[in-house]
Amino acid sequence: MADYDFERLSVLIVEDSLFIRSLLINSLRILGVGKVYAEDHGGQAIEFLKKVKEDPMAAGTQEVDIVMSNWQMSPVDGMMLLRWIRRHKESPDRFVPFILITAYSEPKRVTQARDLGANEVLAKPFTITAIGEKLISIIEKRRQFVHTRDYFGPDRRRRIVPIEFEDRRKLTDKSPGVEIVRG
Amino acid sequence: MASLQGRKVPTIVRFYRFRNRLKEKTHGLGGGTGSISEEALAEAEKALEQMAEDYPDWVSSLIAKLAEQHGRCVDTPEHRREFFEEINNIAHDMKGQGGTFGYPLITEFADSLHNFTTIRNDITDGMVELVKAHVDAMRAVIRGRVKGDGGEVGAQLKATLEKAIEKYKGK
Repeated sequence: MADYDFERLSVLIVEDSLFIRSLLINSLRILGVGKVYAEDHGGQAIEFLKKVKEDPMAAGTQEVDIVMSNWQMSPVDGMMLLRWIRRHKESPDRFVPFILITAYSEPKRVTQARDLGANEVLAKPFTITAIGEKLISIIEKRRQFVHTRDYFGPDRRRRIVPIEFEDRRKLTDKSPGVEIVRG
Repeated sequence: MASLQGRKVPTIVRFYRFRNRLKEKTHGLGGGTGSISEEALAEAEKALEQMAEDYPDWVSSLIAKLAEQHGRCVDTPEHRREFFEEINNIAHDMKGQGGTFGYPLITEFADSLHNFTTIRNDITDGMVELVKAHVDAMRAVIRGRVKGDGGEVGAQLKATLEKAIEKYKGK
């Protein structure tokens, strides 16, 4: 088992609290992440991402590999940013892994984040170990993306659970109406 | 559109299965599961501890903001709703920070403050007093550098706050 080399990674941090933002920037740099970008809130993050798409030279990077964003921010919060990334035509990468950081801990909030297409939720207050675990999960447990009438995001089934009764799921990869995109 | 025997069937679901570029970037093509270097993790922890030394100063400014909003609630009761919203936002931030820097009691008290300031119809004098009780409890945590669960001091602070909550409940 070898250690990851994060040198080629580019991570965007979106956090309005100065203190937490510097903590996140520091931690990622120490863990070896090659490029760390930080923005104050969702609106600025959207501007940055547009720049990455339109003028990567000026943005300083060709792509963003992971977005880590706080939820509650003003004027544009983390959920609005996530929606923009997943659905907007100007988004440079609708599939980019998204870690939502939040002090909200109610299960319904976590479900809400999941249903909007967040890959991971990092609960505040967090530890360094928790940051590491989320990174590992993003890298190792890459899930397929699912696009249906009312959902676009990483597959919300994280595990393959054996079914001990009749499998009532109707669609398989070969069913009409199922399209597989590989790349 | 997928097709079935020449007939067009509308797409119900589209699956995107891409190769794992992140893994290629961070771990080469060697395969196997990677890990994060222990030394790097330890170093990051150390950096956090260093930042944690500044945390009391940082959070003191937030507590001062809470005290200021409390003062406004007393002075201009007709604007309590907006002040409570601000208090609610600050409490949410504090809840998310304390524990990271070794002050879980700040997180706990901020959580309590956040919960009861989540806007409801009437903001009573009792609720305004309760904001003050939370501010006092947080100040005591920071003044005394009460880390972790705070042992006896921590228990005492919690008990005092609970008594205040009991006293002003419904008032």
